[in-house]
Amino acid sequence: MPEGNEVDESGRRTFLKVLVGSGSAAFACALAAPAALFVAAPVAHAGAATGQRWVRTVRLDGLREGEPKKVAIVADHRDAWTRTKDVELGAVWLTKRGDRIVALSTTCPHLGCSVSANADGSGFGCPCHTSTFDTNGHKTGGPTPRDMDTLDTRVEAGFVLVDFRRYRMSVPERVEIG
Amino acid sequence: MSRPHRVGDWLDARAGHRKLLRELLEEPVAGGARWAYVYGSALTLVFVMQATTGLLLMTTYAPSAQTAWASVHYISYSLSGGWLVRGLHHFGSQAMVVLAALHLSQVALFGAYKKPREMNWWFGLALLGVTLGFSLTGYLLPWDQKGYWATRVATNIAGTMPVAGSSVQALLQGGHEYGSLTLTRFYAAHVGLFPALLVVLLVAHIALFRKHGVTPAARADLTRVDAFYPKQVLYDLVAGLVVLAVLFALTLREHGAPLDAPADPASDYPARPEWYFLSLFQLLKYFEGRLELVGTLLIPGLAGALLFALPLLDRAPTTALRQRVAFVAPIFLGLAGVGLLTWLSMNSDAHDSTFQAARKRADGRAKLANRLALAGIPPSGPLDMLRNDPEAHGEELFAKNCAGCHVLGDLGDRQKATAPTLDGWGTSAWVVAMIHDPDDKTRFGNTPYKGQMPSVDVPPKDRKSDTPFTPMPHEDVQAVAAFLSSQEPSAPVSGDDVARKKGESIVRDRCTACHMYKGDGDLGGSELAPELAGYGSIAWVTAQVTTPATPATYRSKAVDDEASKGHMPRFDGDLSPTDIDLLARFVVSRARGVALRSAAPEHP
Repeated sequence: MPEGNEVDESGRRTFLKVLVGSGSAAFACALAAPAALFVAAPVAHAGAATGQRWVRTVRLDGLREGEPKKVAIVADHRDAWTRTKDVELGAVWLTKRGDRIVALSTTCPHLGCSVSANADGSGFGCPCHTSTFDTNGHKTGGPTPRDMDTLDTRVEAGFVLVDFRRYRMSVPERVEIG
Repeated sequence: MSRPHRVGDWLDARAGHRKLLRELLEEPVAGGARWAYVYGSALTLVFVMQATTGLLLMTTYAPSAQTAWASVHYISYSLSGGWLVRGLHHFGSQAMVVLAALHLSQVALFGAYKKPREMNWWFGLALLGVTLGFSLTGYLLPWDQKGYWATRVATNIAGTMPVAGSSVQALLQGGHEYGSLTLTRFYAAHVGLFPALLVVLLVAHIALFRKHGVTPAARADLTRVDAFYPKQVLYDLVAGLVVLAVLFALTLREHGAPLDAPADPASDYPARPEWYFLSLFQLLKYFEGRLELVGTLLIPGLAGALLFALPLLDRAPTTALRQRVAFVAPIFLGLAGVGLLTWLSMNSDAHDSTFQAARKRADGRAKLANRLALAGIPPSGPLDMLRNDPEAHGEELFAKNCAGCHVLGDLGDRQKATAPTLDGWGTSAWVVAMIHDPDDKTRFGNTPYKGQMPSVDVPPKDRKSDTPFTPMPHEDVQAVAAFLSSQEPSAPVSGDDVARKKGESIVRDRCTACHMYKGDGDLGGSELAPELAGYGSIAWVTAQVTTPATPATYRSKAVDDEASKGHMPRFDGDLSPTDIDLLARFVVSRARGVALRSAAPEHP
């Protein structure tokens, strides 16, 4: 029965081919699954490493009414495996307005360049893509999608504390990172 | 026509992949597919896994003396899936060596090295060399004690080579010392040079294999011919999957790969190479002095030369094993020798109590380092992390400076101690025991102070019958213990507020007959008993270790040879203030962590 044998043989080969296909797929998956987990791990943790809140900055009596002062945010920092003490994480513009201390992030909400204060006291400007802001950080011109980001402040034992956070860039609304 | 077919046609017209695939898959397997042929393919599949996991590890690993251990720790303990990827890579490297040995054995048994396949045998040997090169370089990369010391031995062996030895060693190490350049060189070899070499050699190896085909077993039915695909491919794939399953099982069982303490060039470490190099390690024990080269170079070199020469020596056309015994037997005798030496080495370590004790200490340090590193590692590296930790460095300092006289937990010799045992020192249980029986052998019993301090609730032995003695009431003893043991601010307080207040007033009123409390006391002027303010605290220990001769602890007579009766020496000349601080932190936390060993005092 040569015909029957041929059918058997071709059926057997097809079966073997299916086995090879599924075996290869199993091998590939066994490697791909841990690989995907491993590569995606830092993405899942993004931002969580910093987790900074309420950083002590300068003495309150070091601020003059209505005059913005750039102060560094210094705190402990965790970068992957490294833990560093007292690192400059960033900076904020602090302005005293009566009882209130206004803190504006120096990070331009457009693409993250560092916003500087105009020498004439007329507000702030970004040196990269020329976005401009008034003394309260409100957008007055340029490509920036939103006002400068304000951060909460409080005064404790004569020092100004800032609730240091980071926000996503180039979006009209404030979205915290992490 | 179906869509995939049309895409296939389009591609084939341009790439010609169908012809290539046909050539790859329709290779005839003379004598039929066999399980015996799977080792080479399984090796290739494991190599694919090694390349994949290796590339993943490269996304996180940072080769430098400060970051290598830290990044590997981060992979193993912080990154999701990191332990799995590193574990697979770790066990995969061992699988490569095992499979290479099996592959070589199969080729030798089947006579597949014979004319015209000599070149292929040599390519195979070169691949084996590259595989061992991978093992050697990879072992160093975590920059942990195990890899550091084992690799140092290996490069020192390279340094013993006649003529070029020291130059070769310096070239491998990137200088005359081990350091970041050693790491970057080994890393470059491991992830650049060896992979490139392996791929080139492997392509040549497979191309030559395809040119000559398999070497069927001597008695195989040569009329039977299978195509490589699908049957042999399936066998190969099943073998690859079995190996992969074993590697997953090992990784899951061990929860990844081990990580020893960070490499410390100044430490004592019981160095051993990875298990498949243990035979070479054991060989070194038999050849001393000028004969050392026999063990390091001559025997391994001869073995390699013999393997190389095999196809040139065995030139008869037959592949029947019976007629090749003289040529094949040495290979298996050699493998048996490797097995025997490995066993001898493991057996000798298992029965060597000095090695076992050193291994236990090393494991303890590894565990501690791995735990500390979870909180992050300073930019100056993991050794600095350990050096600034009371538990890690404090213990070393205690062992070196204090354990000659004191005992604390496992440290010090209980038989030879001439100073108080510090187990439980500063706790309320310890204070209760101390003021009840100061001359117990774990307290003043074995010291020159024996007989100097009276018990508060046991009358002195030399008391005259007409001298009144009122034992201190139990509540007062407890109150004193509650007060004294609560003086260390970082320790949990014992007793309630009322008891501690009462304890303080008893200390101030009654103990100051001999002791000082806040600068007042010692009514008899003997200058023997210490200040009790702060007693049991880190600050008190710091002051005492710096020098006992200040009002903070024992006052000026303490270091006066005549008057002190052999008091503890000052350490401010030998130890830095930082080390003294670490030591004090260690003593207080370990003392309070170790339970009091002496029997609890009896109370009426």
